[in-house]
Amino acid sequence: MRIPCPYCGERDAQEFVYRGDAAPVRPAGDDGFEDYVYLRDNIAGPMREHWYHAQGCRNWLTVDRDSCSHAISGARLARGGTA
Amino acid sequence: MADDFALVERSSLGLATVMARKDISAADIGRALGMPMPDGPFESTGVDMSLLGTGPGSWLALCEKPGEDWADGLAAKLDGLASLSDQSGAYVVFRLGGARARRLLQQGVALDLDPEVFPPHRVAVTMIAHIGVILWRCAARDAFDVAIFRSFATSFRQWATATAAHLIEA
Ligand SMILES: [Zn+2]
Repeated sequence: MRIPCPYCGERDAQEFVYRGDAAPVRPAGDDGFEDYVYLRDNIAGPMREHWYHAQGCRNWLTVDRDSCSHAISGARLARGGTA
Repeated sequence: MADDFALVERSSLGLATVMARKDISAADIGRALGMPMPDGPFESTGVDMSLLGTGPGSWLALCEKPGEDWADGLAAKLDGLASLSDQSGAYVVFRLGGARARRLLQQGVALDLDPEVFPPHRVAVTMIAHIGVILWRCAARDAFDVAIFRSFATSFRQWATATAAHLIEA
Protein backbone atom coordinates (compact mmCIF):
# COMPACT_ATOMS: atom_id res chain seq x y z
CA MET A 1 0.00 0.00 0.00
CA ARG A 2 1.29 3.46 -0.88
CA ILE A 3 0.21 6.59 0.98
CA PRO A 4 0.21 9.93 -0.86
CA CYS A 5 2.06 12.24 1.56
CA PRO A 6 1.26 15.86 0.61
CA TYR A 7 4.91 16.84 1.17
CA CYS A 8 6.93 13.77 0.11
CA GLY A 9 4.69 12.26 -2.57
CA GLU A 10 3.56 8.63 -2.74
CA ARG A 11 5.41 6.45 -0.23
CA ASP A 12 5.31 2.85 0.88
CA ALA A 13 3.23 2.24 4.03
CA GLN A 14 6.39 0.84 5.70
CA GLU A 15 7.61 4.42 6.15
CA PHE A 16 4.59 5.26 8.33
CA VAL A 17 3.39 4.56 11.85
CA TYR A 18 -0.34 3.81 12.05
CA ARG A 19 -2.40 5.55 14.71
CA GLY A 20 -5.92 4.56 13.65
CA ASP A 21 -9.27 6.34 13.80
CA ALA A 22 -8.86 10.12 13.64
CA ALA A 23 -12.32 10.81 15.10
CA PRO A 24 -11.54 11.03 18.87
CA VAL A 25 -11.23 14.61 20.11
CA ARG A 26 -9.01 15.49 23.07
CA PRO A 27 -11.23 16.22 26.09
CA ALA A 28 -10.75 19.46 27.99
CA GLY A 29 -10.41 17.77 31.38
CA ASP A 30 -9.54 14.33 32.80
CA ASP A 31 -12.97 12.90 32.06
CA GLY A 32 -12.76 10.55 29.08
CA PHE A 33 -9.02 11.04 28.68
CA GLU A 34 -8.21 7.34 28.92
CA ASP A 35 -10.75 6.53 26.22
CA TYR A 36 -9.31 9.31 24.06
CA VAL A 37 -5.79 7.92 24.39
CA TYR A 38 -6.51 4.20 24.12
CA LEU A 39 -9.85 3.50 22.42
CA ARG A 40 -10.07 3.55 18.66
CA ASP A 41 -12.89 2.22 16.48
CA ASN A 42 -11.78 -0.34 13.94
CA ILE A 43 -14.14 0.42 11.08
CA ALA A 44 -14.71 -1.93 8.13
CA GLY A 45 -15.01 0.39 5.16
CA PRO A 46 -14.32 4.08 4.58
CA MET A 47 -12.70 5.81 7.54
CA ARG A 48 -10.59 8.82 8.44
CA GLU A 49 -7.34 7.91 10.16
CA HIS A 50 -4.02 9.23 11.38
CA TRP A 51 -0.65 8.13 10.00
CA TYR A 52 2.76 9.43 11.07
CA HIS A 53 5.38 9.73 8.33
CA ALA A 54 8.21 8.63 10.63
CA GLN A 55 10.73 7.75 7.90
CA GLY A 56 9.94 10.79 5.76
CA CYS A 57 8.89 14.34 6.58
CA ARG A 58 8.05 13.42 10.22
CA ASN A 59 4.55 14.87 10.06
CA TRP A 60 1.16 13.50 11.05
CA LEU A 61 -1.25 12.96 8.19
CA THR A 62 -5.01 12.61 8.11
CA VAL A 63 -5.86 9.97 5.52
CA ASP A 64 -9.23 8.92 4.08
CA ARG A 65 -8.98 5.21 3.45
CA ASP A 66 -11.31 2.30 2.86
CA SER A 67 -10.06 -0.36 5.27
CA CYS A 68 -11.66 -3.13 3.14
CA SER A 69 -10.28 -2.17 -0.27
CA HIS A 70 -7.27 -0.08 0.94
CA ALA A 71 -8.30 2.59 -1.57
CA ILE A 72 -7.10 6.02 -0.40
CA SER A 73 -9.20 8.99 -1.48
CA GLY A 74 -7.25 11.80 0.24
CA ALA A 75 -4.37 12.72 2.55
CA ARG A 76 -3.36 16.01 4.13
CA LEU A 77 -1.25 17.29 7.00
CA ALA A 78 -3.02 16.79 10.32
CA ARG A 79 -1.69 20.09 11.73
CA GLY A 80 -4.39 22.71 11.96
CA GLY A 81 -7.18 20.20 12.53
CA THR A 82 -8.28 16.84 11.21
CA ALA A 83 -10.92 17.99 8.73
CA MET B 1 34.21 -1.28 -10.76
CA ALA B 2 35.55 2.25 -10.28
CA ASP B 3 33.69 3.48 -13.39
CA ASP B 4 30.45 1.86 -12.32
CA PHE B 5 30.24 3.04 -8.73
CA ALA B 6 32.16 5.55 -6.63
CA LEU B 7 31.25 6.15 -3.00
CA VAL B 8 33.09 9.08 -1.45
CA GLU B 9 32.55 10.74 1.90
CA ARG B 10 32.12 14.53 1.66
CA SER B 11 34.07 15.49 4.75
CA SER B 12 34.31 18.74 6.74
CA LEU B 13 30.84 19.91 5.75
CA GLY B 14 28.85 22.32 7.89
CA LEU B 15 25.36 20.92 8.50
CA ALA B 16 22.44 22.35 10.45
CA THR B 17 18.71 21.77 10.72
CA VAL B 18 16.47 24.81 10.29
CA MET B 19 12.92 24.70 11.65
CA ALA B 20 10.53 27.57 10.97
CA ARG B 21 8.73 29.19 13.88
CA LYS B 22 4.94 29.28 13.87
CA ASP B 23 3.43 31.25 10.94
CA ILE B 24 6.86 31.89 9.36
CA SER B 25 6.97 30.93 5.67
CA ALA B 26 9.80 29.63 3.52
CA ALA B 27 9.80 32.99 1.73
CA ASP B 28 10.29 34.86 5.04
CA ILE B 29 13.35 32.77 5.80
CA GLY B 30 14.63 33.11 2.25
CA ARG B 31 14.49 36.92 2.56
CA ALA B 32 16.49 36.80 5.82
CA LEU B 33 19.13 34.59 4.22
CA GLY B 34 19.17 36.38 0.86
CA MET B 35 18.70 33.17 -1.11
CA PRO B 36 15.84 31.22 -2.67
CA MET B 37 14.22 28.89 -0.16
CA PRO B 38 12.80 25.52 -1.25
CA ASP B 39 9.11 25.20 -0.34
CA GLY B 40 8.99 21.46 -0.91
CA PRO B 41 11.37 18.49 -1.23
CA PHE B 42 14.00 20.34 -3.29
CA GLU B 43 17.50 21.75 -2.92
CA SER B 44 18.22 25.41 -3.51
CA THR B 45 21.71 26.78 -3.77
CA GLY B 46 23.02 30.09 -2.47
CA VAL B 47 26.49 31.64 -2.58
CA ASP B 48 28.16 29.40 -0.01
CA MET B 49 25.31 27.23 1.23
CA SER B 50 22.55 24.98 0.00
CA LEU B 51 19.23 24.23 1.66
CA LEU B 52 17.38 20.94 1.36
CA GLY B 53 13.65 20.70 2.05
CA THR B 54 13.11 17.83 4.51
CA GLY B 55 9.51 18.52 5.62
CA PRO B 56 6.97 21.34 5.92
CA GLY B 57 8.87 24.18 7.60
CA SER B 58 12.07 22.17 8.01
CA TRP B 59 15.33 22.16 6.07
CA LEU B 60 18.88 20.86 6.21
CA ALA B 61 21.46 23.58 5.60
CA LEU B 62 24.73 22.43 4.06
CA CYS B 63 27.92 24.46 3.75
CA GLU B 64 30.93 23.23 1.77
CA LYS B 65 33.58 25.23 3.62
CA PRO B 66 32.18 26.35 6.97
CA GLY B 67 34.04 28.84 9.10
CA GLU B 68 34.27 28.14 12.81
CA ASP B 69 31.25 30.34 13.60
CA TRP B 70 29.16 29.29 10.60
CA ALA B 71 26.23 27.83 12.56
CA ASP B 72 26.19 30.73 15.05
CA GLY B 73 26.15 33.25 12.20
CA LEU B 74 23.26 31.43 10.55
CA ALA B 75 21.34 31.27 13.85
CA ALA B 76 21.77 35.02 14.29
CA LYS B 77 20.35 35.70 10.81
CA LEU B 78 17.33 33.51 11.61
CA ASP B 79 16.69 34.94 15.05
CA GLY B 80 12.92 35.02 15.66
CA LEU B 81 12.19 33.24 12.37
CA ALA B 82 13.54 29.74 12.81
CA SER B 83 15.32 27.44 15.24
CA LEU B 84 18.75 26.27 14.18
CA SER B 85 20.59 23.22 15.41
CA ASP B 86 24.18 22.46 14.38
CA GLN B 87 24.30 18.90 12.99
CA SER B 88 27.80 18.95 11.51
CA GLY B 89 28.82 15.92 13.57
CA ALA B 90 25.50 14.12 13.36
CA TYR B 91 25.47 13.10 9.69
CA VAL B 92 27.91 11.60 7.26
CA VAL B 93 27.28 12.73 3.66
CA PHE B 94 28.31 10.31 0.93
CA ARG B 95 28.51 11.17 -2.75
CA LEU B 96 27.58 8.23 -4.92
CA GLY B 97 28.67 8.64 -8.51
CA GLY B 98 29.56 6.46 -11.48
CA ALA B 99 27.65 5.15 -14.47
CA ARG B 100 25.57 2.71 -12.38
CA ALA B 101 25.00 4.85 -9.30
CA ARG B 102 21.26 4.98 -9.86
CA ARG B 103 21.12 1.24 -10.52
CA LEU B 104 22.79 0.67 -7.16
CA LEU B 105 20.54 3.04 -5.23
CA GLN B 106 17.48 1.60 -6.87
CA GLN B 107 18.23 -1.70 -5.08
CA GLY B 108 17.45 -0.01 -1.79
CA VAL B 109 15.24 3.01 -2.44
CA ALA B 110 11.50 2.37 -2.88
CA LEU B 111 11.14 5.46 -5.07
CA ASP B 112 11.48 6.00 -8.80
CA LEU B 113 14.85 7.70 -9.34
CA ASP B 114 14.37 8.18 -13.08
CA PRO B 115 15.64 11.72 -13.87
CA GLU B 116 12.21 12.55 -15.33
CA VAL B 117 10.62 12.23 -11.88
CA PHE B 118 13.68 12.65 -9.65
CA PRO B 119 15.67 15.38 -11.42
CA PRO B 120 18.74 17.27 -10.11
CA HIS B 121 18.03 19.08 -6.83
CA ARG B 122 15.10 16.83 -5.96
CA VAL B 123 15.26 15.66 -2.31
CA ALA B 124 13.74 12.61 -0.58
CA VAL B 125 13.75 11.73 3.10
CA THR B 126 13.32 7.96 3.04
CA MET B 127 14.94 4.63 3.95
CA ILE B 128 17.59 2.41 2.43
CA ALA B 129 17.90 -1.06 3.97
CA HIS B 130 16.03 0.15 7.09
CA ILE B 131 18.48 3.05 7.46
CA GLY B 132 16.95 6.54 7.43
CA VAL B 133 18.49 8.72 4.69
CA ILE B 134 18.21 12.15 3.16
CA LEU B 135 18.83 11.60 -0.53
CA TRP B 136 19.19 14.16 -3.31
CA ARG B 137 20.32 14.20 -6.91
CA CYS B 138 23.30 16.45 -7.58
CA ALA B 139 23.49 19.07 -10.32
CA ALA B 140 25.52 16.51 -12.25
CA ARG B 141 22.68 14.14 -13.11
CA ASP B 142 24.62 10.93 -12.56
CA ALA B 143 25.58 11.62 -8.95
CA PHE B 144 23.58 11.47 -5.75
CA ASP B 145 24.29 12.67 -2.23
CA VAL B 146 23.10 10.68 0.76
CA ALA B 147 23.10 12.03 4.33
CA ILE B 148 23.04 9.33 7.00
CA PHE B 149 23.19 9.54 10.78
CA ARG B 150 26.86 9.02 11.61
CA SER B 151 26.35 5.85 13.67
CA PHE B 152 24.69 4.17 10.65
CA ALA B 153 27.35 5.22 8.13
CA THR B 154 29.33 1.97 8.41
CA SER B 155 26.17 -0.10 7.89
CA PHE B 156 25.26 1.98 4.85
CA ARG B 157 28.74 1.56 3.38
CA GLN B 158 28.49 -2.22 3.92
CA TRP B 159 25.11 -2.28 2.17
CA ALA B 160 26.49 -0.26 -0.77
CA THR B 161 29.61 -2.41 -1.08
CA ALA B 162 27.71 -5.70 -0.91
CA THR B 163 25.05 -4.51 -3.35
CA ALA B 164 27.67 -3.22 -5.80
CA ALA B 165 29.48 -6.59 -5.68
CA HIS B 166 26.21 -8.38 -6.36
CA LEU B 167 25.43 -6.14 -9.34
CA ILE B 168 28.87 -6.73 -10.83
CA GLU B 169 28.42 -10.51 -10.60
CA ALA B 170 24.94 -10.34 -12.11
ZN1 LIG C 1 5.94 12.87 4.26
